[in-house]
Amino acid sequence: MTLWRLTWLTPLLLLQACSPAGNQVEPLKEGLIYCSEGNPESFNPQLGTSGTTIDATSAQLYDRLLDYDEDQQDFIPALATAWQTLDDGTRYRFELREDVAFHQTPWFTPTRPLNAEDIVFSFRRWLDEGHPYHDINGGNYPFFTASGLNRLIERVVAVDPQTVDFYLSRSDSSFLANLATDFAIILSAEYGATLLERGTPGLIDQQPVGTGPFVFDEFRKDLLIRYARNTNYWRTPAHIEQLVYSITPNANKRMLKLITGECDVIPYPLVEELALLDTEDEIRISGTVNPNSAFWAFNTQHPPFDDVRVRRALAYAINRPAIIQNVYNGNARLATGILPETSWAFSPVDQTHGYDPAYAKELLAEAGYADGFDFELWAMPVQRAYNPNAQRMAELIQADLAQIGVRAEIVSYEWNAFRRRLARDEHDSVLIGWIADNADPDNFFRPLLSCNAKAVGTNRANWCNAEFDELLAEAIREQENAKRKQLYQEVENWVYREVPLIPIANSMRFQAYRGDIQGVEVPAYGGVNFRFARHVDTAATESAGVQP
Amino acid sequence: MIRYTLRRMMLLLITLWLLTVFIFSLNYFFPGDPLTNMSGVRASDALNYQLATATRAFDQGILAQYSNFLGHLLRGEWGQSLSTQQPVFQELLPLLGATVELSLLAMIVAMVIGAPLGLYAAGQRRGALDRLVMGLSLSAYSIPVFWLAQLLILLFAVKLGWTPISGQINPLFDIEVSSGAILLDIGLSDSPYRSAAFADAISHLWLPVLVLAMMPATMLMRVTRNSMLEVMQQNYIRSARARGLSDRRILWRHVMPNTMQPVVRQLGLMFSILMSNIIITEVIFNWPGLGSWLVKSIYERDYPVMQAGLFTFAALILLVNVLVELYHAWRYPQVRKELYAER
Repeated sequence: MTLWRLTWLTPLLLLQACSPAGNQVEPLKEGLIYCSEGNPESFNPQLGTSGTTIDATSAQLYDRLLDYDEDQQDFIPALATAWQTLDDGTRYRFELREDVAFHQTPWFTPTRPLNAEDIVFSFRRWLDEGHPYHDINGGNYPFFTASGLNRLIERVVAVDPQTVDFYLSRSDSSFLANLATDFAIILSAEYGATLLERGTPGLIDQQPVGTGPFVFDEFRKDLLIRYARNTNYWRTPAHIEQLVYSITPNANKRMLKLITGECDVIPYPLVEELALLDTEDEIRISGTVNPNSAFWAFNTQHPPFDDVRVRRALAYAINRPAIIQNVYNGNARLATGILPETSWAFSPVDQTHGYDPAYAKELLAEAGYADGFDFELWAMPVQRAYNPNAQRMAELIQADLAQIGVRAEIVSYEWNAFRRRLARDEHDSVLIGWIADNADPDNFFRPLLSCNAKAVGTNRANWCNAEFDELLAEAIREQENAKRKQLYQEVENWVYREVPLIPIANSMRFQAYRGDIQGVEVPAYGGVNFRFARHVDTAATESAGVQP
Repeated sequence: MIRYTLRRMMLLLITLWLLTVFIFSLNYFFPGDPLTNMSGVRASDALNYQLATATRAFDQGILAQYSNFLGHLLRGEWGQSLSTQQPVFQELLPLLGATVELSLLAMIVAMVIGAPLGLYAAGQRRGALDRLVMGLSLSAYSIPVFWLAQLLILLFAVKLGWTPISGQINPLFDIEVSSGAILLDIGLSDSPYRSAAFADAISHLWLPVLVLAMMPATMLMRVTRNSMLEVMQQNYIRSARARGLSDRRILWRHVMPNTMQPVVRQLGLMFSILMSNIIITEVIFNWPGLGSWLVKSIYERDYPVMQAGLFTFAALILLVNVLVELYHAWRYPQVRKELYAER
């Protein structure tokens, strides 16, 4: 009967109609999809420290006064064309670039190019507690507080429309490095004033306006962020017309989407699994050396971790080389201290504890825990550059600890909730890590272990020691690198003795690309950058001139 | 029929009312502050919290709170999300569109595949093809939807490369979201690449639709087959045969309408199963619909969103079931008569 035949045919016909659409229409050719691992917390990197937010915003929407060139290991001009150090290093003067336009968007039309007012506005927002924007959207500026920049900079003054002076409370060798980070971005003062007038200042971090190579278009939570090319960019405009962040938290899903071509670039790929699939001609994987450190931090305020002997015992109890093999598949270096190899202050001396469960047991008995104890081991729910699988790492550590009679309960929450609870110090111990924001070794210590960092909630060990803080301050006052290097060795030594945290690994940061993508930059310090990204038309030579 | 309709409507209203009581009491059962759970305003936001206390009558007794809650619910003021601070109801509408589009298409596909195959199997009763179709339907019915989805993704997307696996459309097509139903939105948009976008949307759609349609289709197949076999045994079919009517006429005039009667009754149940499967399917295919929204809200402990999602799903299932029953009673008067006789 014809009816039956029709029934069979309908789905087949549907299938026929559904073979993937030709990839050649304009928006697909001129756009790029980056499958990011999570939602940004806001569209202003000043407000956070999360790598996801930095990747989504800094290099795309904004510019900084100066950039850091990794090849030359030097600072290069960006919004500032020149700078000089005055008054024995306590005053810096920046000359600004002319004719830098802010983004023109449906919600804001700039009437003037960038000038000194914008620099003053951007810095005073977090410096000056009386500033009308200081308390907007939380009023928390963790990077600037943790790095001490908020107390280093005394004031920022516009000398004339193209000149800005920064007055420092003392000379600081890491100042320029901090200005070149992804956090020290420049906002529009005019936009700020417009929003205040409209009575909606909170929008400044949700509908961002910057000077960067891409203009914000829309954000749909858990789904996508859409950016359009900034055709008026003051440097060479980006190649791609549209940049879409497709939010894909699941690592397996990201890999599949890369294979099906739904993603052009993905961060944190499952390197081993990708290698197993035979996709070499379609997909490239690149690893960049990343200045990061994965560590296990003890909440030194919670007993029994207030006892250094307990912390030291656990340091001896875990088999870190096994973790490197199992969690990183060997794609990481066993940490020999907090500083990774990439830092100039790195020294090859091993300043970590070896694997010695017998000695660990002795130490525990000495501390009065011969029968072990119970505690919570918090593991991140997401992959980061420094730790591809914190859950697995937690399981390995749990097994190691069971051997010395210590019982760990693995705890995890959704990522934003996880960070919130960490900041409230609800944890006993946590597996987490740090990616440096700038090339200065100080960035590994003050944001992680200083009393200031404890106050803003980036000090996961809850560690605060006046002598230790003084040592960090001494290292930052010193201008000579050789002497600083020595001081940082002392700092490392201190961490070795007191064990507020156990450094575990320094890993590479991996990205995977479709074969036709080039120019995606992943700087060691900071977030991914799509300014030079483009499709290399491999099909053009084969089917020249054929347009559907 | 009018009496029956009224009775059903009363029942619907009462069930919906019970649902609102349940949802309201959830605010007290969830951990934390009931007002925050309901409105999404945290106590740290002192000014708005005070405002919410007043507008939601939290300074009064529980009955006043409930009647206020009902008022807000009816006006579409469902509070704001704890994680995005956006109004929940406005956030919900496009998601509802996406979910309804997916479920409607899945229902249609299920009917197009299921009913004819059931009829076909009945026609071939106890033949090899009947056994094959029924065996296939039983095995397809037994595969859990999350596993089926993964298998089909591996086959069609990864191995064969025929289809993408997530979302409604390639995000590079900048289609403005108005209804949430992607095919409709493409139709409404002024994008110059509409036809390409349409093809792309279809290539995103067919796999989740197929996955979703599988379970109801197999159910339909079995129900249709059994019902048709039963109808074929009836005396009026024999007498029609005896009067010398052609097979085709018997099939279309006498068998089909009567076969469809129990099938239509099952549609409500099928829809309920579809709704629970759609939650899983949406999560797997990153479909921006109610289901993935609800699951996400559970992860994020976003109580206002969780309530809204639960309420919408429950209300949708209730509504569809009542509509199916009404249609059933209207289309098949004998059912109505049975109902009255039983009273």
